[in-house]
Formats: sequence, C-alpha cells, structure tokens
Amino acid sequence: MIAATVRRWSAWSPGLEDADAWSNWCTAPTELAAEGRPDARFLPAMLRRRCGSLARIMLTAAFDCCEQAELAEVATVFASRHGNINESIDLLDRLAEHQPLSPTAFSHTVHNAQAGLFSIAAANRRASSSIAAQQDSFACGYLEALTLLERDPERPVLLVVGDVPLAPTFAPLVDEPPGAYGLGLLLARDGEGTPLAFGRPPETDEPRLARWPDAIEFLRWYLSGEPGLVLGSARRPWKWQRLQ
Amino acid sequence: MGTINALGREPEEIWPRLLAADQSHVRRRADLVPDCALLVAEIPGPLPEIPPRLKRYACRNNALLMAALQQIEKPIADTIDSVGRSRIAVVIGSSTSGVSDAEAAIRHQHATGVLAEAFYYDQLEFGGASSFVADLLQLDGPAYAISTACSSGARALATARSLLALDVCDAVIAGASDSLCGLTANGFSSLQLVSDEITNPCSVNRNGMTLGEGAAVFLVTRDRGGIQLRGVGESTEAHHMSAPDPDGQGAEHAMRDALNDARLEPAEIAYLNLHGTGTPLNDAMEAAAIDRVFAGAPPCSSTKSLVGHILGGAGAVEAAFCWLMLSERTSGELDLIPHAFDGQLDPALPRLRLVPREGLRVSTGPVMTNSFGFGGNNCTLILEATAP
Repeated sequence: MIAATVRRWSAWSPGLEDADAWSNWCTAPTELAAEGRPDARFLPAMLRRRCGSLARIMLTAAFDCCEQAELAEVATVFASRHGNINESIDLLDRLAEHQPLSPTAFSHTVHNAQAGLFSIAAANRRASSSIAAQQDSFACGYLEALTLLERDPERPVLLVVGDVPLAPTFAPLVDEPPGAYGLGLLLARDGEGTPLAFGRPPETDEPRLARWPDAIEFLRWYLSGEPGLVLGSARRPWKWQRLQ
Repeated sequence: MGTINALGREPEEIWPRLLAADQSHVRRRADLVPDCALLVAEIPGPLPEIPPRLKRYACRNNALLMAALQQIEKPIADTIDSVGRSRIAVVIGSSTSGVSDAEAAIRHQHATGVLAEAFYYDQLEFGGASSFVADLLQLDGPAYAISTACSSGARALATARSLLALDVCDAVIAGASDSLCGLTANGFSSLQLVSDEITNPCSVNRNGMTLGEGAAVFLVTRDRGGIQLRGVGESTEAHHMSAPDPDGQGAEHAMRDALNDARLEPAEIAYLNLHGTGTPLNDAMEAAAIDRVFAGAPPCSSTKSLVGHILGGAGAVEAAFCWLMLSERTSGELDLIPHAFDGQLDPALPRLRLVPREGLRVSTGPVMTNSFGFGGNNCTLILEATAP
C-alpha cells in the first residue's frame, strides 16, 4: 500500500456546492443532478467564456481545494472518463456535414484542456497529467497523482476528477451512474490532513457496488469515518484505508 | 520495444530508412480535409486484425498498438511467466484514440439515422486504448490512458518509471498510439499549422507541420542494463491552449528538469531529438530554449519530416527512435539520425547543430527527446545505453 495525506478536499455537483451541502447529502444521498454549472466567478471573463460545463466544474473544485498561495505551486492530475468528448462529437457532426471547424473549439477538445485552462487561470507552471481509464478513472487518477508525488515528494499534488453526462448520441452506449460532478483532493506526502493508504486489497475484500461515480463514493466514505473502502471491479479492485 | 510508423512495420525496416532520411513515405490524401490534398505520413496496407472477442476495441488506433505489441510478444510472455498477470501495468498515451472510426460511425448516423453497428464507445474513449492492451495481453495490473496532447507518449514512459518505483507492479507496458483522422487534420488545418509541402523544421522556409500516425510500445522493468530511462523533465506553460510560450520557458524548464533528474551536465548529452514540428513558433522557441540550456548545443534532428507529427504518439515513437539509435551503437559510437530539411537554416534561430543529411557518428552518451503539447504540456526524456 502507498501512503499519502489528503490535506483538503472540495466537490461540486448541481445543488451541492459546499462542504456543508455534501455533509448533509451524505446522511441521505440521492442521485446527482445532471444539469447545471458553477458561476466560476474567480475566472477572468475571457477565460470563463471558453470554459464549458466540465471545465467550470473541475476548475471550481480545483480552486476551492487550494489556498491562494498553493494555486501556482501544486502539481496537477486531471482525471475524467469522458473529458471533452461531447465537444469532440459536435466537431465530428460538423465534419460529417463538411463544415469547417473552429480552431478555438478544436484546441479545447484535447483531453488536457481542463489542465491547460487551470494552468493559465492559476499561473501554474508545474508538472501536470491528464488521464482516463473507463470505469477506473478515479482510482487511476489517484494512482497517477501518487506517481507525481513519487517524482517530486515535497510538492503537493492536486487531483481533480470530474465528468458530465455524455451527449444523447453516445449516452445509450455507456452504463454508468448519472450526474455531473467534480472532486478535488489535495494530496501530499505528509503534514496536516488525513493519511490514507492506497493499493490492491487482499482477495477477501469485495469491491463496493457503486451507486454514485467512484469519486463521489470515495467522498462518502471519506466523510463517514469508516476504516476502509474498496472500489473497482473484481479483476481490478482498489482499496483506501485510514492510517490513524 | 516495438514500433510502427510510416517508415515501416518493424525496427529492421525503420532504422535504415531513418539513417537515409527517407521522405518517400509522405503522400497526399484527398479524403481528410475538404478540397485539399493533404500531405500525410500514413502507414499503408493492412494492419493486424483485432480478435473478435475484443471487437468493442476494434479501431485503427488499437490496430497500430497491436502491430507494435506483436514485435515484443516473446519478452512480454516471459515477463508474465516470471511476475504474473496482476503485477504488469499498462499505460498508453493517445490524443486521437479511435476518432477515425467514430467519424465513420457518425457519417453513417447522418446518412441513416443510426450509428454504424461496428461502433462501440470503447473505440472512442481514451481509456479504451489501455483497456484494449490489458485485455489483449490478459493483464490485471492497473491500466490507464494518458492524454496530454503531444506529450502523451513521453508522459506514459515517465509514469511507467514511477509505477515501478512505487512498487505497484513489476513491469509496465508503456507506449502510445495516434492515427490519422479527419478531426486532427481539419483541426490543425483550421489553426493554419499544417504545411502544404513536407514539413521543413528549422528552415527559413518552414511553414507548418506534416501529420503522421504510428505507435510505439516498451516493456519497462526494474532490470539493470540495456537501454535505461535515465531522466524525466516536465512543465506546463500557463500561456495559451494551442501556442507555446514564444520565449520557450516551458521547454527550457522541461529540459533542465530532465538533466537534474538524470544528474547530468548539459555537455554530456550526445544527441537531442527535437520536438521540431516545423511551425514557425515551435522551432523558434525550442531553439531559443536549447540555446539557454546548452552552452554548445548537442547534435539535433527532428524526425517529423520523416514520419510526420504523430501527436499523442510522437513522444513514444521518438523515444523509440532514440532507443533504436542506442541499440544500434557499434564500438562505443552512435550513428545519429539526420535532420531532413531543405538545408536553409533560419538565420534568425539561435545556432543549432543539425545532424547533416549524410549523417554523423559520435561517441555514445545519453540522448534527449523533447515533446511539447497543446495546453502547454511539456515532457523531456533522457535515455541511455548501459552495459548489461
């Protein structure tokens, strides 16, 4: 198991916009809403205009998770199963109709667009990765954050996980818990916060049947005080365990 | 290491063509961008067939990965025998994934009202590439895709080294794949970054990139000897989504970071594989950054005028070229890959030592490769040959 400390967290979903709202939600969790996006007033208007729902959600989680002085100094990992695929699909529709593409729209469909927008908004020049791993995107994002801590142990890593529902063309092809959400976790080697161990569980531990996106299942567990959490599939389970 | 690109389907075919600076594999394709015969470095001919049990992953991007993986089947099988399937991770970089197949599915939808039957979402989503490799090889370790635009392939190797250091696994299948598609061809054309002629990096006449496709995969372990990943450097730019910082500060930071990580002095680098896209801005900022990092620049070349810009695959394919160069060393000397261009070095660029077309032989040493991507994401790798 690999140890790291969660220094801070933040999360955003329509109607669940601060820590109190999430604490209350955890006592009687309901389905996450699919529509809605944060104001993201901290972004300059020019930049905000270029942010779709997912970018606004992930950047809100990112900015809420950091102190002002940390914003430019943390390494970052952005994990999302679908990323900007809805915007890519819009472009593919245009191509099918032989329409020209907008250069700005094209450059914002890269999977690391959220990371790039964060880097610009936070004046952050530190290492940054963007990953995807189908149903396993949260656990693999967590693991990728640990790889950045491995390379630069003194520098905290901001992990931002998020997704919005797929466009109607593709939504029927994917079976997953509904909702739009973003979760930020500021991870460090040590210091103040909640130390966790992460790795493969013993074979006797069965993964929890996830009713919410894995990142939100993690948050429910994190706020619950239970000792351990197993997520993922029987073939690739992942375990988080409190170390105190 | 296994690789496929426009120069060939295996290292034995690719290496002599790299040394010969063979540009004959760049051809025009009229079906990518409307009213344009676009020059591309395409892989001609059939690719391996994805097994029917994995049809949900059947796309060109994954067929390229499979072609590269077939070249290292034996060492992968030996590793599975020695460490077990659950101790092998998969990390795959890509910026296109199966977009070319999704384009066909959506054209079908526009014509008939339904998506093509052969289309599965797993072909399009980035995580499909790593799941495909894990399912093809029946590996149960962590499997994920990295997509940081044109630095994806380099980052996959950086992650592989860290996963081994964290003891999450005992081996990693790490690499990247990108395939030609309408989305990138039209997207880069709309940004006016694509050249009408074969890309001409560092030339006064350069006017953009040539797109390419390909894959490279590495079996990465903790074993000593062979070719080692000695250094990793990374940075972001906080500048612009689709243009590099004109001062090259991000590029400079990535190269310095890699040298620090490798505990090497700049003068010890024997060769530098440039990002070298042939766009006016990239080449100017990269040359300026190199000039600041190295007192005297090492011999450099861009291989993008031979195999095109493989975007998310570029970092892995260019690391594969460095790997090949180090593997082919003879009596302590390296044959460097020539820099293919029109010979008219841009006098406005800081002095670069470009490897001449007839080639150059130098003493063996560590080699560096640069990858810079959209979103301002940079990654520099240093590879080194060590005695077994």
